[in-house]
Amino acid sequence: MISGIERRECATEYIPDWQRYKGLRCLVAAPVQMQDEKLIPRHNRRSMGRLSIFSVQATDQALLDSGIDRRHLSGGRLGCVIGSTMGSAESIAEAFETLIPNNDLSQMTSTKFFQCISHTAAMNVAQYLGITGRVMATCAACASAIQAIGAGYDLVRMGEQDIMLCGGAEGLHPTVVGSFDILFATSTGYNQTPKKTPRPFDAKRDGLVCGEGGGMVVLEEYESAKARKAHIYAEIIGYNTCGNGSHVSESNREAIVFCMQEALKSAGITPDQVDYINAHATATIQGDKEEAAAVREVFGDHVPISSLKGYMGHTLGASGAIELIASLIMMRKNVIYPTLNLDEPDAACQGIFHVTQPMDKKIDVILKNCFAFGGINSALVCRRAD
Amino acid sequence: MAEQDIVNLVNGVFMESFEIPGEKLVPEAKIFTDLGLDSLDIVDLVVALQKKFGVTMRDDERVRAIRTLEDIYNFIQILKQENRK
Repeated sequence: MISGIERRECATEYIPDWQRYKGLRCLVAAPVQMQDEKLIPRHNRRSMGRLSIFSVQATDQALLDSGIDRRHLSGGRLGCVIGSTMGSAESIAEAFETLIPNNDLSQMTSTKFFQCISHTAAMNVAQYLGITGRVMATCAACASAIQAIGAGYDLVRMGEQDIMLCGGAEGLHPTVVGSFDILFATSTGYNQTPKKTPRPFDAKRDGLVCGEGGGMVVLEEYESAKARKAHIYAEIIGYNTCGNGSHVSESNREAIVFCMQEALKSAGITPDQVDYINAHATATIQGDKEEAAAVREVFGDHVPISSLKGYMGHTLGASGAIELIASLIMMRKNVIYPTLNLDEPDAACQGIFHVTQPMDKKIDVILKNCFAFGGINSALVCRRAD
Repeated sequence: MAEQDIVNLVNGVFMESFEIPGEKLVPEAKIFTDLGLDSLDIVDLVVALQKKFGVTMRDDERVRAIRTLEDIYNFIQILKQENRK
C-alpha cells in the first residue's frame, strides 16, 4: 500500500461486469486482489466473508509487527474491536439469492449467517486467534474503524484490558456501491478514465469510489509497551465521536468542528499543535466542502491536510484504520503524502493548507478524521512516541 | 446410478467443500473423527449432497445413523432407489 502511495498510483479500475446492474452509474472501484486466504485453516475460514479474511490477515501482520507474545491472546486481558459498515455484503447477497427465488431455506449453508452478521470481523478474528478478552464490533459505517480504535483506547486507559487489537474492514460489492450511487454520492463521470477518480477537494470531483480492505493496530498501555521495548508508532492522546443530530447523509461544518475541537480538548492540545490532518474527504461534492469549511474554521490555513482516498478509494469501515496506519508511516518517515488527483482545489474547499506534492515535514501530532452516514463523526489524535 | 459414480461424487463433495485430500477418503473413514467434520460441516454436507444427487435428506431420520463414508454411499444408493419407485 505504502509503495503504491509513494509511486502516486491510483488503484481505481473500471469494472465492466457492473454494467449488468440497471441503474448503477458508477462503474469504477478499487478492488483488492485477495492473496493467501487458504493459509487460514478451513474450519476458521468457512465463517469468513472477504472483510473477515482481510481482518485476519491485517491482524496477523499487526501482531507480528508488535512483537506481542501470542500467549496473551487467551489470557482474558487482550481483546479486539473491529468495525465495518455491515457483515459481508457479498455473503448477504448470496444468502438472499439462495433464499428468495423459491422461498427455500434448504440450500442455505451453515456458515452463511456468520459471514453476514454485523460483528463478523471481530468474531472471526477472535475465533481465529483464540481471544478470550473483550470482543466487540463498532458498526458506524465509515467511522467504524476510528470508533473501534477509540473504544480500544478507552478500554486500555481505563485499565479494563491490557492490549487491544483494533481496526476496521470492508468488502467491495456492487450493492454497497449502489447504496451511494442512488444518493448521487458516487463518481460517475470517470468510468472511462478511472485513474482520474476519486478527486478529493478538487474542482472536478464528482463523488466517491468504493475500495475495500482491512487495517488493524495494536493498542497497549504506553509504559507497558515502553518497558518491553516495543517499537511504538505513536501514542493516542485524544479521541472523540459524536452525532451531528441533523441529517442522515449530509455532513455539516458545525458538527465536524465540534468533533475535532472535542478531540483536541481531550488531547489537551490547541489547533496550532497539530502538524498534519489526515482528512476524511471522499470526493463527494457536499462532504468535502463541509470538512474543508470545518478545518478552515478550526485550523485556518496553517496545518497541512491531505486525503488518501485518491490512492485506494473509500474503504468505508476500514478507512479509519488503513489511513491512520498510512499517517503513522508518514510520521515515521517525516513526509506527508499528498492528495492524489487534487489538480485544482474547488473554490468551496480553499483556505486550508492542501498538500498536493510530497512534503518533507517532521510530524509530531496527527489528527485523523472519519465521518459516516447516519451523521456519525469521529476524530483521533496521535502524538509521536518519545 | 452406478455405485462407483456415487463414490466419486460423494468424494468430490468432501474434496471440494471440506478440502480433504483424496487419499483420506476411504470407505471406512469416520466422518467426525477421521475426516474432522463438525456439526456445522454436517449441515453443509447435507446441502451439498442434496444438490449433487437431487435428493432430499435434511429431515430424514436415517441421516443420524451415518458414521462413515461408506454409510453415505449406501444411504445415497437407497435414496436413489426410493426415488425411482
